[in-house]
Amino acid sequence: MERRRFLGLGLAAAALVPASLSAVDFRKEKPDAFTAHNVADAIKGLYGDIKTIEGDISVKAPKIASNGGAIPVTIKSGLDLKSIAIFQDANPESAVVAFTIPATGIVNYMTKIKMKGPGEITVIAEAKDGKFYKTSQKLDVALGGCEG
Amino acid sequence: MGNMKIKAKVKGDTLKCKIQAKHIMLPYDAAKKKGIDANFITHIMGKVGETVVFEASTSQFISKDPIFKFEAKAKGIKKGDKLEMTWIDLSGKTVTEAKKIKGLK
Repeated sequence: MERRRFLGLGLAAAALVPASLSAVDFRKEKPDAFTAHNVADAIKGLYGDIKTIEGDISVKAPKIASNGGAIPVTIKSGLDLKSIAIFQDANPESAVVAFTIPATGIVNYMTKIKMKGPGEITVIAEAKDGKFYKTSQKLDVALGGCEG
Repeated sequence: MGNMKIKAKVKGDTLKCKIQAKHIMLPYDAAKKKGIDANFITHIMGKVGETVVFEASTSQFISKDPIFKFEAKAKGIKKGDKLEMTWIDLSGKTVTEAKKIKGLK
């Protein structure tokens, strides 16, 4: 597999694990982010100690999710971003997904996530200029869904 | 073939894609209850030729049979090009599938 491009994250893992698809596999480079049990630790694990500001990022999810096993979440931004990640506080671990935004990327992503119960989704975006933006939304879950 | 549903089209300047992979996405606590190993997609990437248009590091908390919708600038991409999606899961299995991009251009 050819390595694509380094984002210069600085804390990149030294070992090249053979099963890696690209240079930016956050699970390999920032494993603490994905094992953290609360949102603050997960954010620290992924981005370090950052100060976040409000900005042009939005998260949309149903206020009441009828199925906790498949909650549609849409995140959008008009900013020039490097990466954007979704966290939540209703599951045993807090990080859900981290998108690396490619050079030609447009930040308009939708995916479906699982939440064990009601909670808050937090989205952190890392901009190319080094700033970090945050937005969040609380939601209720009718039927908890970590069981799949 | 046949693990992923891939829909991609170019509309004006934007490449719009919707993909769904078949995967159990079994989190650790559910796996323990079932007595089997947890397994879920950990990384997924989309490329058109050499250009990466989508990349995500995922966790056990993405829903079963994960769906992703994403967009990218269509510069250099046109109808007929192939969108190649690749995912890898906790067990090390990798699946790559490609689909022609549709569009009005």
